[in-house]
Amino acid sequence: MDVQGLAQQLREAIGDEKVLTDRAQLRTYECDGLAVYKVMPAIVTLPETAGQVQAVVRACVEAKVPFVARGSGTGLSGGALPHADGVLIVTSKLRSILELDADNERAVLEPGVVNLDVTRAAAPYGYYYAPDPSSQQICSIGGNVAENSGGAHCLKYGFTTNHVTGARLVSPDGAAVQLGGKAPDPPGYDLLGAFVGSEGTLGIATEVTVRLMRAPESVRTLLAAFGSTDDAGAAVSAIIGAGVIPAAIEMMDALAIDAAEAAVRCNYPKGAGAVLIVELDGPASEVEAQFEQVEAHCRTAGAFEIRIAADNAERALFWKGRKSAFAAVGRISPAYIVQDGVIPRTALPEVLRRMAELATEHGVRVANVFHAGDGNLHPLVLFDDAVEGEAERAEELSGAILDLCIEHGGSITGEHGVGMDKAKHMPRMYTDDDLDTMQLLRCAFDPHHLSNPGKIFPTPRLCGEVPGRHTGAHPLQEQGLAEVF
Amino acid sequence: MTDAPAFDDHHPPSLELVEDCVHCGFCLPTCPTYSLWGEEMDSPRGRIYLMETGLAGEPMTDTMVQHFDACLGCMACVTACPSGVQYDKLIEATRAQVERRHTRTAVERLLRGTIFALFPYPRRLRLLRGPLRLYQRSGLEKALRRTGILDRTPRLAALESLAPRLGRNVKFPERIAASGPKRAVVGMLLGCVQREFFPEVNAATARVLRAEGCEVVVPKGQGCCGALSVHNGREAEAQRFARAVIDCFDEAGVTFVVVNAAGCGSVMKEYADLLADEPGYAERAKAFASRVRDISEILVELGPVAVRHPLPMVAAYHDACHLAHAQGVRSQPRQLLAGIPGLEVREIADPEICCGSAGIYNVLYPEPARELGDRKAAAVLATGAELLVTANPGCLMQVASSIQRQGGSIAMAHTVEVLDASIRGVSIAGSPHKGV
Amino acid sequence: MNDGAVLDDLSKVADDRVRPAGADDSIDGVPPGYVARPSSTDETAELLRVAAHHGLSVVAKGSGTKQDWANPPSRVDLVLDTTAMAGVVEHAAGDLITIVRAGTTMTDLQSALASADQQLALDAPFPSATVGGTVATNSSGPRRVLYGTLRDLLIGITFVRADGVVAKAGGRVVKNVAGYDFGKLLTGSYGTLGVITEVALRCHPLPTTQRVVSIDVPDGEVAADLALGVLRSQVVPSAVEVHQPAAGPVTVIVLIEGVESGLGARADAVRELLGAGAAIGDLPDSFGHYPFGSGDLGLKITTTLTGVGPILSAAQNLGHRHDVPIAVRGSVAGVLYAAMPADSDPVAAARVLAEMRALAATYDGTVVVLTGPVETRRALDVWGPISGLDLMRRLKDQLDPDHRLSPGRFVGGI
Repeated sequence: MDVQGLAQQLREAIGDEKVLTDRAQLRTYECDGLAVYKVMPAIVTLPETAGQVQAVVRACVEAKVPFVARGSGTGLSGGALPHADGVLIVTSKLRSILELDADNERAVLEPGVVNLDVTRAAAPYGYYYAPDPSSQQICSIGGNVAENSGGAHCLKYGFTTNHVTGARLVSPDGAAVQLGGKAPDPPGYDLLGAFVGSEGTLGIATEVTVRLMRAPESVRTLLAAFGSTDDAGAAVSAIIGAGVIPAAIEMMDALAIDAAEAAVRCNYPKGAGAVLIVELDGPASEVEAQFEQVEAHCRTAGAFEIRIAADNAERALFWKGRKSAFAAVGRISPAYIVQDGVIPRTALPEVLRRMAELATEHGVRVANVFHAGDGNLHPLVLFDDAVEGEAERAEELSGAILDLCIEHGGSITGEHGVGMDKAKHMPRMYTDDDLDTMQLLRCAFDPHHLSNPGKIFPTPRLCGEVPGRHTGAHPLQEQGLAEVF
Repeated sequence: MTDAPAFDDHHPPSLELVEDCVHCGFCLPTCPTYSLWGEEMDSPRGRIYLMETGLAGEPMTDTMVQHFDACLGCMACVTACPSGVQYDKLIEATRAQVERRHTRTAVERLLRGTIFALFPYPRRLRLLRGPLRLYQRSGLEKALRRTGILDRTPRLAALESLAPRLGRNVKFPERIAASGPKRAVVGMLLGCVQREFFPEVNAATARVLRAEGCEVVVPKGQGCCGALSVHNGREAEAQRFARAVIDCFDEAGVTFVVVNAAGCGSVMKEYADLLADEPGYAERAKAFASRVRDISEILVELGPVAVRHPLPMVAAYHDACHLAHAQGVRSQPRQLLAGIPGLEVREIADPEICCGSAGIYNVLYPEPARELGDRKAAAVLATGAELLVTANPGCLMQVASSIQRQGGSIAMAHTVEVLDASIRGVSIAGSPHKGV
Repeated sequence: MNDGAVLDDLSKVADDRVRPAGADDSIDGVPPGYVARPSSTDETAELLRVAAHHGLSVVAKGSGTKQDWANPPSRVDLVLDTTAMAGVVEHAAGDLITIVRAGTTMTDLQSALASADQQLALDAPFPSATVGGTVATNSSGPRRVLYGTLRDLLIGITFVRADGVVAKAGGRVVKNVAGYDFGKLLTGSYGTLGVITEVALRCHPLPTTQRVVSIDVPDGEVAADLALGVLRSQVVPSAVEVHQPAAGPVTVIVLIEGVESGLGARADAVRELLGAGAAIGDLPDSFGHYPFGSGDLGLKITTTLTGVGPILSAAQNLGHRHDVPIAVRGSVAGVLYAAMPADSDPVAAARVLAEMRALAATYDGTVVVLTGPVETRRALDVWGPISGLDLMRRLKDQLDPDHRLSPGRFVGGI
């Protein structure tokens, strides 16, 4: 690859200061939120307009060089891990809110706009943007679209895909394509629905149209402390079983509580084996009635302390502990692996028990933080990489946890995405035929395999080939564009 | 410049502290340079990453230094970080290494040399007062502005725009008796820029302390606390200043050392780290640091006794970074202002983001500083307040200059000046700054 | 094509559930050669392999409620009747999900779910339609306002490709971002990407109580204003519909659901928003049904919120100007259905379509001819301009390179 040549071309296209080739600078982009994987890109570009994004992609296509998009670099599956012989396209300079159309309940955003800033902009009109990943103060809309990010409130409100009505993207062959817009149900194939969650493999969004939700009349939040995760799990089942769909139900176990306490002094009830944060929102009369039910179910399940947020400040404090949990774990362990498995909610108590057993067997601690309402677990496998063998055991345990999720009919990833981290686990969930079929979509968009190659699928499919067994090295492996696990 | 690893063994940034960073990125939205440029290498996460690569053997290149230098040292990232990364310690150690081991350009060296030959020396600053007054009162200032020379020399323009309107100088006696029953004996740091360019703030500080029952000791011969030197990696120089200050105030035999400049207070509270290696000072520095109080801290600690008279106005309170982020002092100034009848205090949007003053940052890097100043000025003006209250002379000069650039106007005062006016029962005109 | 060989090969797969097509088996006027009725996904796959081998074009058919929708197929050799693949595979009530075979009718599905006090929160304009057909045409109704549509309710899918390979995507848990969302691609694909045999759906609890508040107003713009007022309030309605007949007053119908103790206050709030004349009542029979009957010309109009009023007005105006009675019924969320009588002058219909399309486009929306007399549809641009068509063609080429699945029915001649 002629790095200097391509870099020069890119500089001419988008400006000197937006193309980085200095080693020190390139290195700061070599990982995203999953810092255990690092690959230094050959070139980093920082376009400022949709036209510049397109120019960069076109240059890459012409040079047959792979490209990877990156938003705020907070992803947890290595989706923005650069390609060593590729170009990293960073969208953080595309951060304008192009339009805030309250009358139509829509906002049109550049991909680098920070998730929380959408809600901030919509708030004066009485609206908000519902998908709320814990990293929402920094994660980008473009990143949310790539991963189909969820968040605590997706139990009631859905994920990014349920809130994106349109996108303008640069397809992997460098064309500008508009999918959907402000109105619902665009005719034709729901390519937008496939694009959201495609982890950067089907092109780069340069404009995203999102749905804004009307701020609820009433929000009520409670924090309930239980002796064990079993009890807390029983409360969750009872609440859902009663036909209540809270806006969010989150659970943290004792270890996660400790970490959060150390980080942000959230002051959760002492001695809790598990805490539940349950939030209801909607019309005031509806919320009041359901809140009473929720409280009652918590008590019946054995909550030894229940706190009800008296105002927004207290509510924010309840959430602060939960939202800082991942990063906070850094205080109680030198290293950790965060998982993102999903199980049917009814399997929660059994899976938690089995996970505890597995953790003991492997001699590794696991802190649990999760979206109890939809069975999305985030086990934080804690280890000290300075201790011999501990990293390997942690890795093994992570794999065992994923197996456990699949056994119970769940998923290997609920919201963090497959990226490169879980590509090797895809065959646990899908057959060769399933994966082959999915890749037909990829071939439709990216026949030359340049858009974030090496992500999602363990074995890349050569477009135009007949499905079947491969012998010998895969052509894409030979080209250095892919690895087989 | 060689291919040697970036850092040597003398107090490099700590690998242990670096490894506390889990790469979550929560620091990015509060970082002023990231909010301006959106580039990873000018974010706390990116800078920590550069430190890590340096510790692993990458060389200290011009580029690496450029990104360390661009850091304002505001420590908003420390407040935001859920993992508790002590970025303040990391950047200070890094800057000291840069200062010692990296050769800057000739122009940079000249500029820094001039600044550090001047700012930490009150007597030399005083020599500037005369010419500066002349410049401001004669027609020279207007004439210079009209020539447009300043537009082509951003650093000179920055200095020019920052220079405050000079009032009369103030002389302090060495000991000021308490008014009423004596509750404490406190020493007062006069500072450098504060002393020479905002002497009325020091005067107000002394008056308020006295009114609240403190005997105030203002040791003669006190010098610079070394804040600018610490924040710019000039380790040996900083240690010299620190030792002198400790000697000076230890002699005075005071219970507390009161500081009215946020930057100074934050550094003095860290003297123990600065002098950890020095035999004979390590222990004394620890003891000294534990006695340092910001003026708002000590007043809340003692509890108010002096009667407050009404000050019916609308004020906006600006958190100086070195008070809020570095010292965690946020509630005390607000508490004190809340105790003044008739005074409405409004919050400024995005209070976590630095105004761009950051010590001498606005002189060294006028363009980003100006952008940050403009944003802060807009946020301040948006509150509709008639008075801006803040606790750092640097912030005051920076925001004043930005507001003036935007054609706005607002009175400005130090927290202690507002208290002083209330206690004395006079109205507050605000500090006499240029054009506002 | 050797008829005998084809029939033999098909029968080897599904024995007596394969037969030559008869006069009643035409798909939208196009006569097929054979009809096969598989009883499982595996049988479906084998039948499709046979079809691939013989180069047969294939159209899947459930209850046949929408065979006269979109464009008629350019050819049909084999009709795959999905109705033998019926029944709920699993209803995990505690997890609020169900897995159901594509040939199950919507009515049967809802009864099965109701026995555990749950529902698929999707209106069925044709209650006898199969789940597969509902997914293939992306049917929806008034309650999209609160619950969304299949985009928001379908969580997993099993389908058979044109080459007979069985593939699945998604799963049985709502939160799942592993792999591409083929469920969304197949939704609304009119059978052109694969034959759907099984879907996993998200369920909701049956609401405990309902209230219906409606009001009659003189015209569409007034109706839209009031309806949008309710939509934008904090009352959280399940449906906000406007029914505008070809002539006469326009009705706004608001459906709210929830707990009994809360409904009173919310109903009052809605009444206040709708103004004098608003009354609590029952859902009209027309609720959730299309304004067009069998043989009528039916359009689907999408728009932003601010376009609803102008489109309702335009429908009245266009109706007068072109002398075609136009009735409009739909959700103020921006999905409206228009009806023109079966005997409408095709030239007038084309003009109405063109003008309405131009107007909808100014509100970022589209107009699609859903159904109508086959000759009228052949003369009209049924789908209109499609953005992203090039990529859609490429997708089709990857999944069905020989274009044998429902050829010609879909956008861009796909």
